[in-house]
Amino acid sequence: MVVGEIAIETDVVVIGGGPGGYAAAIRLGQLGQSVVLVEKEVLGGVCLNRGCIPSKALIHAAGEYHKLAGLGKLGIRLPDGSAAFHMPDWQAWKESVVAQLSQGVEQLCQANGVTVVKGSATFLSADRIGVETGGDFETYKFRQAIIATGSRPFAPKALAPDHERILDSTDLLNLQELPKSLAIIGGGYIGMELGMALAKLGTSVTVVEAAPGILPQTAPHLTQEVRKQAKKLGISVKTATKVEEISRSGDQVTLAVLSEPHGREELTVDKALVTIGRVPNTGDIGLGQAGVVIDEKGYIPVNAECRTNQPHIFAIGDVTPGPALAHRASKQGIVAAEVIAGLPSSVDSPYVPYVIFTDPPIAGVGLTPEEAKEQGYRVRTASFPYRANGKALVIDERDGFAEVVVEEDTHLLVGMHVVGADAPNLIGEGALALELAARVEDLALTIHPHPTLSEVWLEAAEAALGHAIHIVNKK
Amino acid sequence: MVEFKLPDVGEGMHEGEILKVLVRPGEAVVQDQPVIEVQTDKVSAELSAPATGVVQEIRIAEGDTVEVGTVLLVIDTGAASGEGTEAKPTVTPVSAPEKQSTATVPARQGASRSLATPYVRQLAREMKIDIEQVSGTGPAGRVTEEDLRQFASAGQKRALQEVSATAFAAAPVNEPAEPARPVTPAAVSKTAEQEKPVQKQAASQASALPVGVGDHLIERLPLKGIRKKISEHMVKSVTVIPHVTSVDELEMDQLQALRERLKPHAEKKQLKLTFLPFFIKALVIALKEYPVMNASIDDATNEILLKRFYHIGIATDTPDGLIVPVIRDADRKSIFQLAAEIKQLAELARQGKLTLEQITGGTFTISNVGPIGGLQATPIINHPEVAILALHKMEKRWVVREEEGVIRQMMNISLSFDHRLIDGVTAVRFTNRIKELLEDPNLLFAEMV
Ligand SMILES: Cc1cc2nc3c(=O)[nH]c(=O)nc-3n(C[C@H](O)[C@H](O)[C@H](O)COP(=O)(O)OP(=O)(O)OC[C@H]3O[C@@H](n4cnc5c(N)ncnc54)[C@H](O)[C@@H]3O)c2cc1C
Repeated sequence: MVVGEIAIETDVVVIGGGPGGYAAAIRLGQLGQSVVLVEKEVLGGVCLNRGCIPSKALIHAAGEYHKLAGLGKLGIRLPDGSAAFHMPDWQAWKESVVAQLSQGVEQLCQANGVTVVKGSATFLSADRIGVETGGDFETYKFRQAIIATGSRPFAPKALAPDHERILDSTDLLNLQELPKSLAIIGGGYIGMELGMALAKLGTSVTVVEAAPGILPQTAPHLTQEVRKQAKKLGISVKTATKVEEISRSGDQVTLAVLSEPHGREELTVDKALVTIGRVPNTGDIGLGQAGVVIDEKGYIPVNAECRTNQPHIFAIGDVTPGPALAHRASKQGIVAAEVIAGLPSSVDSPYVPYVIFTDPPIAGVGLTPEEAKEQGYRVRTASFPYRANGKALVIDERDGFAEVVVEEDTHLLVGMHVVGADAPNLIGEGALALELAARVEDLALTIHPHPTLSEVWLEAAEAALGHAIHIVNKK
Repeated sequence: MVEFKLPDVGEGMHEGEILKVLVRPGEAVVQDQPVIEVQTDKVSAELSAPATGVVQEIRIAEGDTVEVGTVLLVIDTGAASGEGTEAKPTVTPVSAPEKQSTATVPARQGASRSLATPYVRQLAREMKIDIEQVSGTGPAGRVTEEDLRQFASAGQKRALQEVSATAFAAAPVNEPAEPARPVTPAAVSKTAEQEKPVQKQAASQASALPVGVGDHLIERLPLKGIRKKISEHMVKSVTVIPHVTSVDELEMDQLQALRERLKPHAEKKQLKLTFLPFFIKALVIALKEYPVMNASIDDATNEILLKRFYHIGIATDTPDGLIVPVIRDADRKSIFQLAAEIKQLAELARQGKLTLEQITGGTFTISNVGPIGGLQATPIINHPEVAILALHKMEKRWVVREEEGVIRQMMNISLSFDHRLIDGVTAVRFTNRIKELLEDPNLLFAEMV
């Protein structure tokens, strides 16, 4: 730090330009606050540059490619009977998508008067940050601050990626060439999403998961279709299996895995992907100097206004305890901005929808039947299968179902879940219904367009009331 | 099956108002988990479940006033062994895929959260209303925009009444018994009062349908909770005690100068030094000299109880009405200690967090209405005490000193006393003594123990 430095004064500094940070900065700009947004890499954060967007770009491409094989059935013949996937072209396309989005964010920041500073920020005190850019060091004095530094992949030392053969999700999404074989350590949603995509593109995939099932955070009855499809895609799934050791052997990697029935086994593959969790980026941003406390896992506890223990410092997104999801980060960002501008705002909804882009995808909002029971609700559940839906058959997507969880006494919807084609889009209706405190009748009495997948909600709701049209109702 | 009855949570209380029901039928509860909030004689208490099980039935509604012994809810303890008896910690609706920590999403979705659309929630925040306090009249009990408006206007009326009541009252306990004083422009007129009663809504909050008489609006609010208690107390006090009030004036210049000198010292202790601690000190000195002022009459046995301890009640204006927190053993505390305790008790009173212990057992009450204004009043004695002192506003007045008109800081005080026990002469000597001690605070220090 230079002696006699002059600090640049601003109302608010936002540290981190991910979906949390940039949403906060733009909203602050709209509300007339002077804002400095500090980002050490690229605007858009993990979500835009190495998370949601690139992974969904890969999943989409893989899905399209995979579909080709089934097109013959629909009467479509490819001239020479086969297709090829060219990874470098995909990379170029993905880059263009990401670039377009991140330029969009940049323009929006500019249009809303946000000063974007490229550099790495650290708190110097409770009202100052220092930003390091190349050799320069600049200090900013703020009235309020928002911490939105996000998270990074977690890997214990034994599984530390070398970014060449042992990869994290970022490395995988930047590959120029598809590996012939891939071991995925961690069958959570990122592992399963990427594993299924690569399997569809021709990679031989093995998933190693320590829990008794894949997607351990999701209710087993919702993941069943994914388990089936993984099998069809030839993915070898080793559950209740731990990776003991990982080592490079020439241009391959060898995993030593341990499980109850099989004991110790060795597995040699081209590349390994480690996706076993993420940790918040809170270690080296000077939180101590700002007087902001973190919990034992490194997360920053916040209240419904996103305030930390320091009332003028806010934290949002993956650095806070709770599901690490982009839409949660954005919501918190907007709330923090509004609170700073003096508006009454609060993250007061328990309805954070989740989306998993596996094949078939899974999405949901609210409680699963088990959770509802655990919380003391008396509930009734009903589901409607995709194979009874006209549109699902037309697009040859017959796997999956929609499920409603309804409180017995009041008929209020307490949870909605869907497994099947387009589930992530369909859950929007669920989130709205729960927020509006809809009863199952509200869903059943709403005219849904035909033929669409959205009719699965209509029919599941009717099934809950005992009068679905397109399935035989349970007595 | 366990029937949970309203217990006697305070000294001899016989009824309570149900403020909040924290559980729902079908919900699993564990023993000692808070299930109901009641408002009793000036304190609100959280009642916890007597047993572990599943709530079978809830027999009361929020807003009901029920007697001790009434069955509030029924808990099925048989269901306990089955499932979900433990209050599960936060269950996340499928959360944090690929994340280290167990995510903490706000727990229990429907159970404790009132039903409302996001827009109505936003509106509630804008109107500074805690939506959980509003009972909904929409489908399945949803809180509607209209419910919020009703709630807000009822709240405003309540607030206005309290301000007016305080302004009229010289003492905590002498508030008008009727709930609606003519404070709103279009308030109660005698003829309007005779109109046919307005039907009350079941809603727990003071929500009454306004009724028009021409363009004059009457609103009928239930007399309940603290207001009802105050009203009952008032009636008892004035019917039992023959009140006499004597008024005197004090010259405050020396005390004011002293206070100015002490202020910086107080600030160092993060205290705001008001005149009240000095008054308390002077009062307890005088009380020791006139024990009959610190007494009560046991109406049942016709005995006089002289109390050799000095627990001074301080009437405090709170959003829920006047509350009288008690400073115990005021004679054994320093001016600064008193200042600190006043601050703390006033804070708790405003937050409605006083315990029963903190508002009972007073031996003498001071009501400080000075900050609001008023020259003199008839404070009503806080039965079973036998006297009450009201402090009025301090102002510069022309007074005659040594044959000359001078300007001095003057303050009136009104003392109401129980004429059954105290003669006028005693009362005046008592106030003279207080006057003497405060007009020359050196004397106050000389007498202090
Ligand atoms: C492969 C993958 C797929 C995903 N898919 C989905 C999905 O489908 N849906 C979904 O909702 N979520 C998904 N996520 C999660 C989502 O990406 C995150 O929840 C989201 O990005 C969190 O946003 P954020 O604003 O909190 O932080 P981030 O997006 O992590 O942004 C933080 C930013 O802060 C910057 N930064 C950090 N420290 C500093 C510093 N000291 N100074 C300056 N800048 C700093 C970083 O460079 C980064 O740009 C996925 C994640 C991954 C890895």
